[in-house]
Amino acid sequence: MHRIVVDAMGGDHAPDEIVQGAAEASLGLTGAEIILVGDAAALGRLLPRMRHDGARVRVHHAPTWIDMDEKPAEALAAKPEASILVAADLVARGEGDALVSAGNTGASIMACARSWKLVPGVTRAALAAVYPTELRRGEKDDPFSLILDVGATIDATADDLVSFAIMGSAYAKIVSKNRSPRVALLSNGTEANKGPAAVVAAHAQLVEASEINFIGNVEGLDIPRGVADVIVTSGFVGNVVLKMLEGVSETVVRLARYAHKERLAWRLGLLALGSAIDQLKVLTDWQQYGGAPLLGFQHPFIKAHGRSNARAVTNAIKLAHKTLAGGLNAEIGRALAELDARNGRRKQIPTEPARS
Amino acid sequence: MSLLDRAKRLAGLPVRVGERIGLLDYVPAGIKAGEAAPTHVFRWDLDKTYLRTEFDSFGDLVKSAMEEASDKQAYPGATALLRALKQDGHRVCIVSGSPTQMRQVLVAKLALDGIEYDEFVLKNNLKNILRGRFRSMRAQIPYKLPAMLQSRIGATAVAETLFGDDAEADAVIYCLYADVIAGVVSLADLERVLTASRAYEDDAARILDLAQRVPKGNAVRRVFIHLDRRSPPLGFRRFGPRLVPVFNYFQAALVLYQDEVLTARQVIFVALEMLDSGQYELGHLATSVQDVIRRGRVARDTALRLTEEASEAAKSGALSGRSDLPPFERIAEAFRERVRSLGGLEPFKFEPMEPLDYVRLVDEEHEQRRARRKQGMG
Repeated sequence: MHRIVVDAMGGDHAPDEIVQGAAEASLGLTGAEIILVGDAAALGRLLPRMRHDGARVRVHHAPTWIDMDEKPAEALAAKPEASILVAADLVARGEGDALVSAGNTGASIMACARSWKLVPGVTRAALAAVYPTELRRGEKDDPFSLILDVGATIDATADDLVSFAIMGSAYAKIVSKNRSPRVALLSNGTEANKGPAAVVAAHAQLVEASEINFIGNVEGLDIPRGVADVIVTSGFVGNVVLKMLEGVSETVVRLARYAHKERLAWRLGLLALGSAIDQLKVLTDWQQYGGAPLLGFQHPFIKAHGRSNARAVTNAIKLAHKTLAGGLNAEIGRALAELDARNGRRKQIPTEPARS
Repeated sequence: MSLLDRAKRLAGLPVRVGERIGLLDYVPAGIKAGEAAPTHVFRWDLDKTYLRTEFDSFGDLVKSAMEEASDKQAYPGATALLRALKQDGHRVCIVSGSPTQMRQVLVAKLALDGIEYDEFVLKNNLKNILRGRFRSMRAQIPYKLPAMLQSRIGATAVAETLFGDDAEADAVIYCLYADVIAGVVSLADLERVLTASRAYEDDAARILDLAQRVPKGNAVRRVFIHLDRRSPPLGFRRFGPRLVPVFNYFQAALVLYQDEVLTARQVIFVALEMLDSGQYELGHLATSVQDVIRRGRVARDTALRLTEEASEAAKSGALSGRSDLPPFERIAEAFRERVRSLGGLEPFKFEPMEPLDYVRLVDEEHEQRRARRKQGMG
């Protein structure tokens, strides 16, 4: 049985939507137990209103929580019994197997970093995000590529980038059922010697790594094309890239709205494309994907979007279950051990989240 | 067998054949002359309460009708619970909405599970069809209520416990039955409920007659509703603390332990059956305990007392031969941890309730059934 701990108080729509999502997940995941961490009185009032399985979802009391706009380090110091800290601690103590939170990203990552250990061979954890692409991949025809790191660490060494590549590849194999995911480094050119020193050094190491399908460097424009299934970069760059891609998507939507208002011909054109646009919405629906995994710790952590509704939370819980059932961390550990045995490298460095 | 017995048996044959093919109604015999009255009667529904049955679509109905006894599955823990009740000498009466033609296979299933019972009433739908009473085929109140009243007239007990599910109107029917035998529902009110239930006139007259004759008493101690559809438990709060929605039979066993109907040892056997089914692990059972505590159905002290008593029972050999289980102290700790993790949470407390408006409840049930039918859920 996989025990999935959920920070029930984290997120813009917490606790209602989080509890609803967990309740729905309890109906489908018979091999799991969901532990809702938060104000027991509030959660106890909500659960009986929802369809759920009372044998598969339970409550663990935490008297306080961290709001979305609080400064992570200060909030964690001021609230030692905050739901995210209690949740991360439950997992650290072996009373849970994975963590899901839609709450404050920085606080969530720091809470994990405080009490969780890294997978042997991993130097820093990486937050991975998915982005919809033109090409599809894997047995499931997955329309998303994985980008990591998108903000768990500010900077990354060559060794960090190599372990990110291993982790991303393992995740794509297990979650997207992609047998041989194409892994690439994000740089300012496809040549091996392009980019900062860490990227060039990582390229040299990855070319030798038989554990993954490394295809070399890719540029920013290759991301939406889907040239690579896993794109590796530092947290700082990844965060900037992700925000820019999100910004472009929003601008496209705004332009379409403008066109819809502006001219009848454009409106008709958009109407003609209606079903295709709907299909695109389905493909790029982040709620369907669940959340972003924080890779590298000995326990899976799925960071759901702050705006997550019940459906997104259910999918984030399912994603956590999938990573546990697929043995993601064992796969990461195995690949890194093989790489380390060949290269003999690295010491572990604590994780510090990038401000976003 | 004496000649007289044989003659009696032969004389009863046409009735038994008539009941079997659905031409005659089965009327439970009740207790025999000179036999002591039962102290506690347990009334059970079958489909979705004891048996895992799907009848949400026509295909499900056909499949269910064609199933062999050995294919039918009881819910984990239900068999152990029913056996424990019968072993304690309680009277077990089954009232099911399945058609009389299913009797043979259902009797065989209960025999396979080692379940003994005192009454087993099935719905005579063939008779309904032959009489052109198609409304009666779906109607629950005009079928179950008289069956239970008749049964009580035949064998009156001081206490009754009822088991149903959330698939149809069991909560309404059982509470109505409880209030009718308690004398809380007047005949005029009952008549209005029967009209709302669309009972045929002669059926309504028969039910009113039974309601008048039934021995009165506040006998129904508990109504358990098995949440087969996983309906939100909050929807059942309006029926008051007597009615307990349960997600599984470990929760029902816990409440019966609290009510001093079951012993800790009997609760363990319900739990063991659930673990053996492979559908539950220890964590699920511990979480089930937390759920009923949170909902104010079982007191924390009761759960902790059960842990202690079960531990003692385990030491005395109740679990002999079960080397596959973790040490009992670890099991007990899992239960205690679930209680602790609620912090200082005050369990839900029931306010004194108003008498139930059964006409409104029946109307609501009809609405819900119509909505489910629209969604293709039965």
